[in-house]
Amino acid sequence: MLRPEEAQRPYTVTELANEIRRELRPLTALLVKGEVTGMKRGTKGHYSFAIRDGQSLINGFLYADDARRVTTLPEDGQVFIFRGRVDYWTQYGAIRFVIDQVEFDDVGKLRAQLEELKRKLEAQGAFATERKRPLPYLPKAVALITSPTGAVIHDLQETILERFPNMTIYVYPVQVQGAAAPMSVSRALRRCGRELLADVIVLARGGGSFEELYAFNTEIVARSVLESQVPVVTALGHTSDRTVADMVADAECRTPTEAGSRVVPKKSDLTAQLRDRNRRLTREIGRRIAREQEQLDHRRRRVAQLLPALVRQRVERLTRAASDLARLSPTAQVARREEALRDRGRRLDAAVAARLARSSHALASLRAGDRLARALSSRLTTAAHGLEHRRQRLVALSPEAVLARGYSITHDAETGAVLRAATQTAAGRRIRVRLAEGRLGAQVDSVGR
Amino acid sequence: MTEQLTYEQALEKLDEQLKLLEDGNLGLEEALKAVDEARVYLQVCTERLEAARRKIEVRGEPEPGQ
Repeated sequence: MLRPEEAQRPYTVTELANEIRRELRPLTALLVKGEVTGMKRGTKGHYSFAIRDGQSLINGFLYADDARRVTTLPEDGQVFIFRGRVDYWTQYGAIRFVIDQVEFDDVGKLRAQLEELKRKLEAQGAFATERKRPLPYLPKAVALITSPTGAVIHDLQETILERFPNMTIYVYPVQVQGAAAPMSVSRALRRCGRELLADVIVLARGGGSFEELYAFNTEIVARSVLESQVPVVTALGHTSDRTVADMVADAECRTPTEAGSRVVPKKSDLTAQLRDRNRRLTREIGRRIAREQEQLDHRRRRVAQLLPALVRQRVERLTRAASDLARLSPTAQVARREEALRDRGRRLDAAVAARLARSSHALASLRAGDRLARALSSRLTTAAHGLEHRRQRLVALSPEAVLARGYSITHDAETGAVLRAATQTAAGRRIRVRLAEGRLGAQVDSVGR
Repeated sequence: MTEQLTYEQALEKLDEQLKLLEDGNLGLEEALKAVDEARVYLQVCTERLEAARRKIEVRGEPEPGQ
């Protein structure tokens, strides 16, 4: 506003500019709602863009410091509610709305977008348990991707070192909140994979509202977790819903303490484990050697038992050999043959004696035969008398005897039949007559009564 | 060969040898060999426990705009 007393002299540009600036100063802590276009990142980490509502436009500006603090970074085409002040930049002659807070105009819409992202990742199998990589049993080092300030980093380090006092920890400081957080987290994940200093990553932040956890629901962070060379464990606080980062991570924990326990075993447990193995090993080899010793002792005892018998056997064999030797010596052979001869002589004598005895016995038997012959002879004489008597009786009764007394026997010449009656023949038939001495042939002349 | 083994792999191999020993089917020579091998794995495990150096290193990178 021009003051009348100064109207005689023109304002310098600077004076006017400062004047304008001063006049605009009351426009502070304002809330402006509008759609973002022409989002540009400046070299110093600031952002500039236009905010409009379809009719009007005002240039928005976000300093680098504020950009790190805001929960979300404005995006082209999205409507946000900005808090800030109007400033007139004297060197450019431009009015800008300098922003210190950015809020989503429509959280519901953002959630819908998030659900869409989850559906997309799910369809690609990003949440599948088979896809998740196993965490190392004992990591060589642990990478912590988190805000370098605050309780989270402290709790994680404390838990890890309490469990495993000589564990190596690499801290990758990132912005876990604010517009630059998604890129910051994504860069750190890629860097871990490049450097491979650690073989497990803990991605942590100390919880927060939906807006505060915005970075962990972005596709860029989800993809970086999925593509990470090193297994990722999330620990994003227990105050919120699961984020997409939780869902694609290889393991999901709520608190830094839980994550610390998950990635690092208790060294004392492992030491106890090895002590146990060592004990078992010592016990086994002790047992094994004792068994071997026992078997050796057993064999030694058996040898001790068997030794006398073995010696006896050999002594016996020697004795046998000695006697064989004695038997086979020429003197012994001569003696044995002499003995054999003597034996034969004795047997010959005995045989001769036996033979003589048998002969004299036979002679005695012959004398007994005489008596038998005499007995037999008298019986033969008696039998001969009987026979003569029977013969005489036989002669007396025989036809010859009758014929001798003058009788004859007449036979039919043809049939040979003895004729006992005249009727047994007929005149003219040939007959034969048997006399005591000789025979007659005749013919019947007649037959009388 | 054992240099590439992780703690877990070495422990697994150690347990394999222990099981062979505890099953008791090994000859004396084999048993002694198994014990030697098991001791090697035990040593590897012990070394792995002590391998890490207690260290906290901040891998900072200059944030753009700072």
